[in-house]
Amino acid sequence: MSGGSRPVLEVRDVSKSVNGPEGRLDILSNVAMQVSAGESFAIVGASGSGKTTLLGLLAGLDTPTRGSIQLDGYALEQLDEEARADLRRRLVGFVFQSFHLLPALTAEQNVMLPLELEGHADARERAHAALDAVELGSRRKHYPAQLSGGEQQRVAIARAFVHSPRLLFADEPTGNLDRRTGRHVCDLLFALNRDHHTTLILVTHDMQLAERCMRRAELQEGRLVPMGEPSA
Amino acid sequence: MKILLLALRSLRREWHLPELRTLAASLVLAVVALGVVATLSTRMERGVLASAAELIGGDLGVSAPENIPGKFSVAGHQRGLSLTNTASFPTVAFAQQQSQLLDVLAADSAYPLRGTLLIADANGKQATSHGPAAGTVYLDHRALVGLNRRVGDSVQLGGRDLRIAGELIQQPDGGELVAMAPRALMNINDAQQAGLLGVGSRARHTVLLAGEPAAVQSWRTWAQSTTLPQGGELITPEQTQERMRNAFDRAGAFLRLTALLSALLSGVAIALASQRYARRKTSEVSLLRALGTSRARVFTLLLGTMGGLALPAALLGVLLALVLAQGAWMFASQLFSGVPTELPILPALAAAGMGIAVLVGFALPPLVRLADVPPVAVFRASMARRIRRFDVLYLIPAVVALALIWNLSGSAKLAGILAVSLLGVAVVAALLAALLLWVTRRITPGGHPALRLGMAALARRRGLSIVQATALSMGLTALLLLAVVAPALLDGWRKELPGDTPNWFVLNLQDDQRNDFNQALDRIGANQLNMMPLAVGKLTAINGHPIDSLTFKDERAKEWSDRQLRLSWSNDLPPSNTVIAGHWFDPHPTQAEVSVDTMWRDMYALKLGDIMRFDVGEGQVDAKITSFRHVDWTSFRVNFFLLMDPTHANTLPHTWLASFYLPRGHAEALATLSRNYSNLSLVDVDALLDRVREIVQRVTSAVRWVLGFSLLAGALVLAAALATSGQERRHEAALLRTLGARRGLLRIAAACEFALLGLIAGITAALGSMVGGWWLGRSVFHIKDFMPQPLPLILAALAAAFVVMLLGLAGTRKVTHTPPMRLLRAE
Repeated sequence: MSGGSRPVLEVRDVSKSVNGPEGRLDILSNVAMQVSAGESFAIVGASGSGKTTLLGLLAGLDTPTRGSIQLDGYALEQLDEEARADLRRRLVGFVFQSFHLLPALTAEQNVMLPLELEGHADARERAHAALDAVELGSRRKHYPAQLSGGEQQRVAIARAFVHSPRLLFADEPTGNLDRRTGRHVCDLLFALNRDHHTTLILVTHDMQLAERCMRRAELQEGRLVPMGEPSA
Repeated sequence: MKILLLALRSLRREWHLPELRTLAASLVLAVVALGVVATLSTRMERGVLASAAELIGGDLGVSAPENIPGKFSVAGHQRGLSLTNTASFPTVAFAQQQSQLLDVLAADSAYPLRGTLLIADANGKQATSHGPAAGTVYLDHRALVGLNRRVGDSVQLGGRDLRIAGELIQQPDGGELVAMAPRALMNINDAQQAGLLGVGSRARHTVLLAGEPAAVQSWRTWAQSTTLPQGGELITPEQTQERMRNAFDRAGAFLRLTALLSALLSGVAIALASQRYARRKTSEVSLLRALGTSRARVFTLLLGTMGGLALPAALLGVLLALVLAQGAWMFASQLFSGVPTELPILPALAAAGMGIAVLVGFALPPLVRLADVPPVAVFRASMARRIRRFDVLYLIPAVVALALIWNLSGSAKLAGILAVSLLGVAVVAALLAALLLWVTRRITPGGHPALRLGMAALARRRGLSIVQATALSMGLTALLLLAVVAPALLDGWRKELPGDTPNWFVLNLQDDQRNDFNQALDRIGANQLNMMPLAVGKLTAINGHPIDSLTFKDERAKEWSDRQLRLSWSNDLPPSNTVIAGHWFDPHPTQAEVSVDTMWRDMYALKLGDIMRFDVGEGQVDAKITSFRHVDWTSFRVNFFLLMDPTHANTLPHTWLASFYLPRGHAEALATLSRNYSNLSLVDVDALLDRVREIVQRVTSAVRWVLGFSLLAGALVLAAALATSGQERRHEAALLRTLGARRGLLRIAAACEFALLGLIAGITAALGSMVGGWWLGRSVFHIKDFMPQPLPLILAALAAAFVVMLLGLAGTRKVTHTPPMRLLRAE
């Protein structure tokens, strides 16, 4: 599977196994894919099919049992955890199903976090701009518990985009939201993706959401199977 | 720098978290407890030394059987110290037909530099004074009686006629309870001119110094590094004041124990709170790691947060410790006079260091593990909990605790007992909790569903429940240990000085005066009368070898054999004496026997069976050593280095030494008695007894006061232990409420859960404190016949269970009263 321009993500024969109570369990087998800069790519599959495991591997959060993953030209399997962390800080953004906002921080402080980690002096200004972009400029002093689910996910999206990552990994971004709010969040996600020219890797079991991506593939019994041509 | 700023910002945001507040409060408490006790101990030490200086007449000195080389005085002058020269020696004074052996102190006009020299004039009017002018002498009452002289008469000393310028009432005497020989104080130039201090004299020369503490310390350091004259020794305050020091030493040991247990309890609270903090931070750390923060950076961030918390908390602790120590000192300082007034800062700063060490030691393991949370845990929280059978990190708190115990207790025995007791309690509590939970999981309790719910909650959080039970047990054990030991210790101190402790001593009582004097005492309401015979002699030979022909390693031996020694005898072993070798006298020994104190044994390298020859009066006695005794010289009793068997000693020329208790307000009757028996010397030790009683009373108050720290630390442990499961409890309660559970059901379930936790903690703490308390009381504090009572401990254990239950219920009250929706949203 390959996009048109230079691949920003290239996966070759990746497998992942874990030792469970009933012996060795193969979660992924010989997964291969390529994603070009600016593309949006959906990985779909039933619950427990290994979607999140694959996402973790692609983002360098975990290491494969076998195979190779190149992220923006870096072979992840050759990097130690600290080097992968450095790569994530510079290149990657995340949106999670359960938002993962820090409850002790306000919306603004949550969005500032990636910038503060990189030591940006203008973290506050950029966080304000990001919150304005997700139409939450007026809620920036609110804590997560004071926001609705949709608002929390929009804060998470603002946090994901605030440091202009090259790749954005989204794990079931609408999984915890109602259909209407989910659609609104997705509109925002795709708009920002387009505006920032970010590569989007999306994991979902929502086919409607997947169809909004340029390319799609389905995880079936640990293998990644292409699902036809991009819709738009 | 940026990461530190980030850490401080993180701390500001998280300051409202209960676990961080518990961490800060625990640190403050540890520093305050350690700081107050250390500051007070330092000041008490200074106070004791200052009091001791009053007894030796100066801050420090040097003495030798020859003239003190000039370099010692020069070094004193160079440091701006005041000096006085004295010499002490025995000599015989004559007055007309009378003669009397006297203990003479010859001094210059600067004597004493510290303490009080009290002189009475011919009319009995008392005034403080200094060394007598040339041509005059002060004599004490016994010397005046012995020589049949009065103030204003003259007396011959060393061939010179001296005018008796006053009666010697009180002088710095090195803390001697009762001086045996009559005393005189004369001018040192007179003594010199009379040839009393020349070559071959038995005088001991002394230079005493006094001045600023720093200058005194400087002289002391210099003197310790220089060569002392032959047979010379430094006179230090530490050598005196044994009786007072004893009271302080034991009080100090107990206060340090209390502070130590408070610090350890704070450590337990810190460990629990940091575990809780680490658990709460896990998702945040996994997110930070997912966002690309390195492990080292995360760890730095966590350390920065802790540092930002620890430094102000430690500083606050230091300030509070100084304020409290100052307050306590104002209360205690009346015990001492002439004590330096400045507040020592260093002990409180050292306490802050120790407090931070406790924080680091107990909080580090969970924080290090927190930094190890893998980034993939952002997807699956279960990934954060890697199974580790043994983690070397958890040895750090144990090492810190042991270091703290060692540092503070200053005793390997105390450290060992505490460490073993607490470890034992921790192991037993953990095992008991695990056993009860195992039983609970397998046997579903019948009865009320709330009971099942409570037991199930404990079993479900098995690991956490074991941690809670163990922490609570250790906290309770520490408190009960103090509760067990403190009353026995305080009671022991009080018993050592009961209200009717003999407060008067009588010297020079003759055989034919005994009965009359006894009856006279009865009439004036005196009791506790005890009489001991007293013979005065000299040691002349050991195993047939004249003492002058023998050489001894201990230089004091020669000096002691020059002196008059005092012999007594008794059918029974006197109190505060213990036979440590040989046996007490046979009822009718065929040969004279003698029991020797360990100091004399060591000084003369004596062995059982050796024969000591004494010249007593006109006669001689050869006595075989049949036992060695350990004598408690700190007791308020008259003790003797040498005790002989009564069968043979009764024939020696002797007088009697009597001690009795006379209630206050009977002094007038005693004055009459004194006039009727003018040869007797009456010595009042009430003032000394009062002083020691006052110390005991104040130390008792201090102990109770410091115990308050331990109670606070115990409360912190309790709060931290209950908070560890707070979040899970809130979530469960919200779910149960959502499912329709009534508040009452939740409350009863929580009550069952906490009562069981409290019971486990109470039982193990009762057992631990009983064994540990017994061990501590006997081995460290030497409380005689000490046996902790089980019933109060069992009641305390039940009360603890009840308190834990009540506090647990109070903690869950908010949960049961909050709408479940709000609780679920807050998760």
